[in-house]
Amino acid sequence: MINDKNSQKIADFIKNWARKHSIWVLAYGTGCGAIEIPPTMTSRYDAERLGVRGAATPRQADVLLITGYLTTKTLKRVIRVYEQMQDPKYVIGFGSCTINGGMYYDSYNTIKVLDKYLPVDVYINGCMPRPEAVLAGFGKLQQLIAEGKANGAQKYKDDHEYYRGNLRKIIGNKYEMPLYNW
Amino acid sequence: MKEIKADLISKIKASFDNVTEKDYDGNRLDFHVETRIIPQILTYLKVNLGYIHLSHISCVDWLEDGEFEIVYIVWSPEDKLKVFIKTRIDRETGVLPNIDMIWRQANTYERELKEMFGIEVDGLVAADEFLLEDWEGLPPMRRDFDTEAYADETFWHRPGREDAMDVREAIIERSREEIPDFAKKYSR
Repeated sequence: MINDKNSQKIADFIKNWARKHSIWVLAYGTGCGAIEIPPTMTSRYDAERLGVRGAATPRQADVLLITGYLTTKTLKRVIRVYEQMQDPKYVIGFGSCTINGGMYYDSYNTIKVLDKYLPVDVYINGCMPRPEAVLAGFGKLQQLIAEGKANGAQKYKDDHEYYRGNLRKIIGNKYEMPLYNW
Repeated sequence: MKEIKADLISKIKASFDNVTEKDYDGNRLDFHVETRIIPQILTYLKVNLGYIHLSHISCVDWLEDGEFEIVYIVWSPEDKLKVFIKTRIDRETGVLPNIDMIWRQANTYERELKEMFGIEVDGLVAADEFLLEDWEGLPPMRRDFDTEAYADETFWHRPGREDAMDVREAIIERSREEIPDFAKKYSR
C-alpha cells in the first residue's frame, strides 16, 4: 500500500508538515552574525512560536545556520558538523559574507561562495540581517520544506565528490578529513 | 601630567643612550629606541617606574624603508600614562629580542608577529603554528602580500561585483586628493 502513489503523497504531506513545524537550529556561531540569534530566539521576536528552537549538538539539530563569514579554518569544522547531522537537515546562509564574500571579498582567509562547499537551502541577505529578516528566512525554509523542495541533503549525497573536491582545493592535502558515511 | 612626562623623559634619558621622545596631547608618550636595549628599557619601566601592564605589541610595515617598526605599549596605573616604545628592525634580516621573561603574555604577541609578519624572535617559545593552519608562502600581514590576488587565485567569486569601486578612487573623485606615489602600486 505504501507504494501506491496517492498514499505516498499523503505520507509526504504529513511528514513535511511535521518537519516544518519543528525546526531545531544548531547553536553554532561562525561569524559576527551569531549576535542576531539571541534576539531572534528570545521574548521580543520569539522564534519558538514558529517552531524554531535551539539544539545542543549536531546530531539533534535540523538546521545549520552559517552566521557570517567562514574562515578556511572554520570551514573544516563546519563541514564536519554538517556531516554529523542526521536527516532531515538544512543549511541557511546568513548575511552577505556567505553569498559573495561581503566586506571580506579580498580577504586571504575567508571563503566567498558558500554553496561551493555546502548545499544551501535558503540565503538571508543583509549585513547583518535583522531578526525580522531571519524570521522571513525561516518562513521561506518552512515553505520549501512543505513543498518538498528543501533537498540540500540529498544534493550533498549525490554531488559529494564535487563538494569535497572544492573543499580539498581550499584546504590542501595536509589536513585529514574523515570520510562521510551514511 | 606634564610633570610626570618630564620626569619620565629625564629618567629614561639618564639611563639609556640614543633615545628620542615624542610627546602627544593627553596621556601618551613615545620613545624611539635601539633594538638591542628593548629588554633593558622595558624591565626598567616595569620594575623601577611602575609601568607594570603590557597593553600590546604591534608592528608597522615600512615597506619603502625596508624596515619593520615594532611598538610596545605599556601602561602605568599610578601615572595613568601610556608609553609607546618603538624600535625599527630590518625587514629581511632583523631579529627581535625576546621579552617573555618580563611579561609571560608577550609570547602570544611574539608568536603572532612571527606568523603574520615573519619576524624572527630570539629564543621564541612554541614558535610553530599559531592561528593560521597549514599556511605556506608570504606571511599575510606584510604589505607586499597581495591579498586580493591571493583571494582571486584561491577562492571562487560570485559574479556581479566587478564594478565595485576602490575606496581611494571614490575619495579622490569627491575631494580631489592626490594618491602618494608609493601608494599607487597598491591601488586598484
